Amino acid sequence: MNAEFDPSVGTAVGRSTPKLENREKVTGRAEYIDDLYRPNMLHAAILGSPFAHARILSYDVSEALAAPGVVGVITGDDVPAGRMGAFIKDEHALAKGKVLYLGEPVAAVAAETLEQARAAVNLIRVEYLELPAVLSPEAGLAPDAPILHEALADYIKVFDAGSTGNLCSRTELTEGDVDAAWAGCAVIVEGEFTTQAQAHVAMEPCGALAEMDAQGRVTLWSANQSVFRVQANVCESLQLPMSRLRSLTPRVGGGFGNKMEAHIQPLTVALAMKTGRPVKCVLTREEDFEIVRARHPFRIRMKTGADAEGRLIARECEVLLDCGAFADDSPGVMGYALLMSGGPYRIPNQRATGKLVYTNKLRFGAYRGFGNPQVSFASEQQIDEIARKLSLDPIEMRRRNLLQPGDGWFVGPKVASNGLSACLDAVEKASAWGRKPDAKPGTRRAKGIALSAHISGLLGTGAIVRMLEDGTISLNTGATDIGQGSDTALAQICAETLKVPVEMVSVASPDTDGSPYNWGTTASRVTYTTGRAVAGAAGEVLRQAMGHAAEMLDVPVEDLELREGGRIAIRGSNTDLPFAAISGRAHWAKGGPIVGSHTLVFDEPTHDPKRAIALGLPFPRIGVFSFAATVVDVEIDEVTGQARVTEAWSAVDVGRAINPRLVDVQIEGGFIQGMGFALYEEMVWDGPKLANPSLLDYKVPTSADSPHVHSIIVEDPEPSGPFGAKGAGEIGLNPVPAAIANAVGAALGGVSHDLPLTAERLLPRIIEAEHAA
Amino acid sequence: MPGKQVFTLDLNGRETEVFAPADATLLDVLRDNCALRAAKRGCNQGVCGACTVMIDDVPVRACLTMAGACGGRAIRTLEGYGDDPVMGRLQEAMNASGGVQCGFCTSGLLITARNLLAESPRPAQAEIRSALSGNLCRCTGYVRIVEAIASAAEEVAR
Amino acid sequence: MSFVLSPRTVEEAVGLLAELPDALPMSGGASLVAMKNARLIEASHFVSLAGIASLHGITATDTGLRIGGMTRHAQLAACDLLTGDLSMLRQAAGQIANRVVRNMGTIGGAVGNADPAADYLAVLACGDAHVELTGTEGSRLVAMTDYVTDWYETLREPGEIVTAIHLPAARPVPSVYRKLCRVPGDYATASVACASDGDGVRVAVGACGHGPIRSREAEAALRGNLRDPVAIAAFGAALADLADPVDDVRGTSEFRLRLIPRMVAAAISDLEGKR
Repeated sequence: MNAEFDPSVGTAVGRSTPKLENREKVTGRAEYIDDLYRPNMLHAAILGSPFAHARILSYDVSEALAAPGVVGVITGDDVPAGRMGAFIKDEHALAKGKVLYLGEPVAAVAAETLEQARAAVNLIRVEYLELPAVLSPEAGLAPDAPILHEALADYIKVFDAGSTGNLCSRTELTEGDVDAAWAGCAVIVEGEFTTQAQAHVAMEPCGALAEMDAQGRVTLWSANQSVFRVQANVCESLQLPMSRLRSLTPRVGGGFGNKMEAHIQPLTVALAMKTGRPVKCVLTREEDFEIVRARHPFRIRMKTGADAEGRLIARECEVLLDCGAFADDSPGVMGYALLMSGGPYRIPNQRATGKLVYTNKLRFGAYRGFGNPQVSFASEQQIDEIARKLSLDPIEMRRRNLLQPGDGWFVGPKVASNGLSACLDAVEKASAWGRKPDAKPGTRRAKGIALSAHISGLLGTGAIVRMLEDGTISLNTGATDIGQGSDTALAQICAETLKVPVEMVSVASPDTDGSPYNWGTTASRVTYTTGRAVAGAAGEVLRQAMGHAAEMLDVPVEDLELREGGRIAIRGSNTDLPFAAISGRAHWAKGGPIVGSHTLVFDEPTHDPKRAIALGLPFPRIGVFSFAATVVDVEIDEVTGQARVTEAWSAVDVGRAINPRLVDVQIEGGFIQGMGFALYEEMVWDGPKLANPSLLDYKVPTSADSPHVHSIIVEDPEPSGPFGAKGAGEIGLNPVPAAIANAVGAALGGVSHDLPLTAERLLPRIIEAEHAA
Repeated sequence: MPGKQVFTLDLNGRETEVFAPADATLLDVLRDNCALRAAKRGCNQGVCGACTVMIDDVPVRACLTMAGACGGRAIRTLEGYGDDPVMGRLQEAMNASGGVQCGFCTSGLLITARNLLAESPRPAQAEIRSALSGNLCRCTGYVRIVEAIASAAEEVAR
Repeated sequence: MSFVLSPRTVEEAVGLLAELPDALPMSGGASLVAMKNARLIEASHFVSLAGIASLHGITATDTGLRIGGMTRHAQLAACDLLTGDLSMLRQAAGQIANRVVRNMGTIGGAVGNADPAADYLAVLACGDAHVELTGTEGSRLVAMTDYVTDWYETLREPGEIVTAIHLPAARPVPSVYRKLCRVPGDYATASVACASDGDGVRVAVGACGHGPIRSREAEAALRGNLRDPVAIAAFGAALADLADPVDDVRGTSEFRLRLIPRMVAAAISDLEGKR
């Protein structure tokens, strides 16, 4: 434990403060993108491509332009040639020259009413030359495969991607000597696993509203996870100087990676610039399924070896990812999945390689877990498989291999705090692991376990803290709160640093004009990275306030202390000054207004060249590690094969819970989203066309089929984190499919190779078990 | 404008006239014409529950209700519950419990929960889970929502 | 642009439908308005049946029960008249969508729409129900087992509306509705309605073909053999042979064929447990 860590509840940190914006949400007054209106505003509708792969030969928009209410139409001819992308800049604001997936926006209409816009898009005539489509990564790698991005070699790439043909990127990580290590293994298990595309289904569909002023400067509101990534993507694709675009956010109706990079912001801005009027574009649920992004389907080949005592010796992992039509966050997802493919264990010899292949489907991209749930599904089942072969209890098997405090991570990241063992102990006890659950007649039932680690960190962030004239505090970070409560947690960090009640801190809404840079609400990073910036900026405010107080009280700074309620006092005395007095002096008499700012970029290297070889690693600097253990109790109906989770226990080491209730909800919400992924959520394609782009056909968990989830917070403070905190946003989801698969394995025997674990997939295993009995 | 008509609605206790497309749904009219935007459009298919409102004291989907079929019926949206103490308890419990995350599902969910408490003052956990099954929440995993409704019910019943 | 019309009588409603060739009848709207929102249907007018008093309510008749077409799923899910071999209808109604949508959707609308994966068709086929169809020429009764003729096609003529469902009086023997669905409220991947009938059973399978699947021959063969697993397996296999399921997002045809005998056997076993 870190000696400086104070486990007691502070002024603000450690309290389950209700979220700052809850009252507007429970009264229905919170405004999301579709609730925003501007005077003279137009409504937009999008024309999607009818082909998965085609050249655009010509457009005829005359009929659409003449339609009632239509003010403007844009096609690929109206947008500049700029390309955007987080890792590989391969995507225009709107299809230009070619379409690369069915439904891809090829044109858009702005009209006085939404109905008029929707009617008019059908009047746009586009002439295409259809091309053969690539519908799987395997097909994309075939020697004679049609090529999606003919200019791939010329695209800007921010890492060594190794792109060629339809291969978007490749990554190879090696530590130890895997090939030699197999000989020393008493047990080797090997298998192939596939996982499916999962839709994010944030309850709010994506949307944007853009408006250009008389100077030609554009203001853009959108459903987002980063106003800064929105700004960068729009400006890259439309070739605008970033200073010409102001990106703002209304309340965001959930984001799980889908709102991190661009969706329809670039085309909405293009329409606003074309028409000179404010334009709002909000996707239908169907469009949200078809044109935003989704979780990557993985094909995974994994091989694991252990000695006779169950100690892991070698792990090999090879993945093939469907990239979809654009790179988006895919190289990062693959690189991260490979980095996490060993799981939170000591494995001296590891090799992880992957290929990411362009296909004519919508882009796959960031989704809570970022590749980790997929590799964990394979990895954690192989741990159980080895345990079964060695007649070891799955928990005992894991205990023998846990990554220990002080151990580094695969290829080199340092791991400081590590509460993994405590997580395992906690779920073992809470779930009464040793007690076998009773199966009702007609059902099979068993428990399963899985562990996970996840990073929080990555890239740049900043905070500005201002002490207002009356001594209250204004916090501005640029971090979009997507509902998870980061505004509240950051206000708590700020309040704790300044020993003021959290009600005294106001949180500014992110605004690229006025907020310090924040890469985004992603990578479980806001509490950890932005929290560090907030603690730093608030600390700077305190330093300045102390300086004022020292002059005002005529004592050395060393004799001063900060007291509850925002007062600076002479140690051992009743003499103190409220912030109001200090800030009043600074504003009106001496020194100038008190403003503290702090910025940082996460700069610990991912790769240690002395330890491992890494090729095509998209993240040179990654983050700090959180840990989790999850136990599920699963019941399977013998008639149909349908599995359901009856109860779940999830323990997560978050370093320090800034707001315990908000951490609980991350664990619980992550669990249920992972359960949907494990059991039935699946985007299904009928040829190139998504067959289930609606909530009637694509099902997400309801309250009635979701179990009670027992969330358990483990606190092993992270020395670099604000008050010891590290991330909690994604890790709760990672182990869920694996834990459920392990419970199914315990109930039915065998390994689950393919997700989701539908009734259709489990019934044959029940029938097999019936025949065996 | 062709295809538009005047609808007279009994909306949150007030007679309200709106001029809207003849085939507008109640959700269209609430959001576009009445600036009542607590009800959200999450799917427009009646599945997600974010647009749940009360008509004649029965919870329904505003997106599946034609405005033209609402004449003479009492419509109540979340905005119309300002003076309802039971709704106040539910709102307070949701605020305190952690059942509010992104908030997009919250309005519709509160309407369903309010109706549940009218039908069943002290619902068991399983009954709450069953009653809410048509109000999708993608953030919370439902644990804190169920807890909030149970605790509000307890307080109201006391 | 569709206008909503609100007639007060069935005569007025069918008159409007006859007069307006591009009009569609609208009962609860739960499916119809969803289809309109998804731009899957277009109509000049929606003729709302909600204001027609005679379409509401469940009444006892000389021969059994008459369920008005505008009866909501929620009313059926709570209906005390649906006991014994009709309790399966109550069970099925309570599994449609969710409580809020059950306040909207109606049995007439559901039967009129005839979605093969919806919950009523199998139960009504099993329950020897008749559909009352009314047009300008008057009313007629059609047996549910004959009603569905193809995928989303029925004996209902354009301009006719489902004014009621007729069921024989409830008998004090058990019945059960079993449904496999991905999450509660989803359409069925497969469903089975099963009612006790002396020393035999009546069984109909849903979501495994264009309409409910029922075989009186197979039921006759099973009579007296309800404790014989071989006979039950043969019965399930006979129903599976009559099935014509499709591959869709809820499951493959192969899976459904595999499910039918298992779900049928489980339903029969449920009845044995309820005796």
